[in-house]
Order: sequence, then structure tokens, then C-alpha cells
Amino acid sequence: MSDAIATYDPAVDAPRAHHPVYDYDSGPPVERGKFAIWLFLATEVMFFTGLIGAYVILRSGTAAWPNPENRLAVFLTAINTFVLIISSWTMVRALFAAQRGDRGGILMWLGLTIFFGSAFVSVQVYEYFELVKHGSLPNVDIFWSTFYIMTGFHGSHVVVGVIWLVCAWFKALRGGYSERNYLGIELAGLYWHFVDLVWVLLFTIVYLF
Amino acid sequence: MSEKGHFNAEKVFALLFVATVVEVVWGMAGADWNKMLLWSGLGICAFYKGWLIAVYFMHLKFEGWVVKSLILPTPLLILVIYGYVSPDVSHGDDVLDHPIGTMYDNETGGFQNLLLRDEKAHSERAEEE
Repeated sequence: MSDAIATYDPAVDAPRAHHPVYDYDSGPPVERGKFAIWLFLATEVMFFTGLIGAYVILRSGTAAWPNPENRLAVFLTAINTFVLIISSWTMVRALFAAQRGDRGGILMWLGLTIFFGSAFVSVQVYEYFELVKHGSLPNVDIFWSTFYIMTGFHGSHVVVGVIWLVCAWFKALRGGYSERNYLGIELAGLYWHFVDLVWVLLFTIVYLF
Repeated sequence: MSEKGHFNAEKVFALLFVATVVEVVWGMAGADWNKMLLWSGLGICAFYKGWLIAVYFMHLKFEGWVVKSLILPTPLLILVIYGYVSPDVSHGDDVLDHPIGTMYDNETGGFQNLLLRDEKAHSERAEEE
């Protein structure tokens, strides 16, 4: 038996903290939630880099790549890109409203962000239906395989973002955010802007290049 | 985000809007241009939009060293990944016995490009419709 156990006296030792007590916060100089979301986003950057890298390799390895304009609805998707950019702007307005403690503003701007995000997903689902109707399935050729993989993974991220925003909206409805407590909206916003950023790149690479 | 994190969101949104219009017009009008010219313009527009979103909307500009140190290594890793794949890209189908997107044709003894074959069928179907 070690000396520490043999000499243990509950009256003396039990109240003592089991770690040093500092008079300052020993955590990182940033909120833990924000630290975590940025770490997560860094992994997401690498995930999409892998996807885009695979696309570049496959496209460069083909003898000839079809013109995306002949196969895809570029104009419709350009409008959809505007919709996603608008949703990013409304998300910024939602955060500004949260920082002012404006509950009505949060609900309105978050609601608009959810609306535009849902509209983006709806247009993408419509595009998929139209393509599948014309026989453009992922197994037809390498163009469609890469198209569905990249836009599909991005679309699933948008769906997750919309669900996250809906949860934040209901929390705002219950008065869960205030002038001093708006980290939840900020984190959802960071994820949402990241999804927008990825789409800006994917739209260029898949639809315009 | 602190008060110093406030910026003119409408101005950033307007810049994103204009950059997207320029990008789409460039991409659709430049289909027959020199590929390097087309891709350079599109790349600049996409990079500029991504930069605006990351710096202002994701407020990287206003963050401290912790957040920046988390995200800034990723572009370096991207460069490493693309550095490793670039030899394959630069060689293209010169080093491939069986180019991607092609199928061996027993009759002709050569490789038939499936993508272009489908492209032709797609155009014919579109004309019929």
C-alpha cells in the first residue's frame, strides 16, 4: 500500500481539489465551441479537397471531357447559387440581431436563411429528378459519377445545415439567445457560410470549367 | 464575435453578387475561348468569392491566432495533395493504356470514348425533343 493511501485522511484530504486551481482560465483563448467548429471545418476542408482532387485527376485522365453546359442546367444553378449567397447574407443579419439581443430579428433572419437553404435543396432535388428522368444516372459515365458524388455530398451538408438552423430557430423562439449568449447562432452560421463557400467553388468547377 | 467583428454585410453581399454574375457570364461566353483564359477568369472569380466569404462572413479577419492556426494549415495541406497528384494530371492519358472514360472496341481494335459517344446521343435526343 502506498504512503498516500495509507496516510489518507478524509477529513483533511477529501475537500482538496484533485488538480491545481488557477486564478485564470487555462483553456484556449477562444470559446470551446468555436474551437471545436473550426477544427471540424478544417477536416471538412480536407474532405472536399479530396473529392475535388479526385475529380481533377479523373477529368485530366479522360481523352475528352464533355462541355458541362450541354448536360447541366447552368443558368438554373447560377440562380440557385445566388439563393445560397443570399442565405449567407441573411445568416449574417441573424447574428447581428443576436448580438443586439433582438429576438424578433433573430427569428426573422434565421427563418429567411432556412427558407433560402430549403429552396436551394429543393432546386437541387428537382435537378436530380430531371436528370434521372433523362437517364443521366451516376453509373452512366465518369462525368455523372463525379457530378453526383460532389453535388450529393454538398447537398447533404446543406440539409444538415438547414436542420441545425431549424433547431437554432426553435431555441430562439424559446428565448434561448441573448445579447451575451449567441454562440449557438455563431456556430451554426460558421457551418452555413462554409457550406456556401464550398458551393461557390463546386459551382465553378463542376458547372463552368 | 466582438463588436469589432461588425462589417458592412450588404457591401460584401453586393460584391459576391457581382462576382457571381461576372463568373457566369465569363463561363458561358468563354466556352470557345482559350482554355487557360477561361479557367484563369473563373478561378480568380471563385477564389475572390471564397475569400470574401471566409474573411468577412466567417469573420476570419476578426479572429485571433488560435482560430487562424486551426484553419491556415489546411491550404498548405491542399497544396501538398495537389502537388502529389499533379504528375498524374500533367501526364494525362499519355501514361494510361486505357484512358479514363473509354472502352476497348473489339471491332476497331481501338478505344472508344464513352463520354463523347454519350454526348452525341445526348445532342441527338435534345434535337428530337
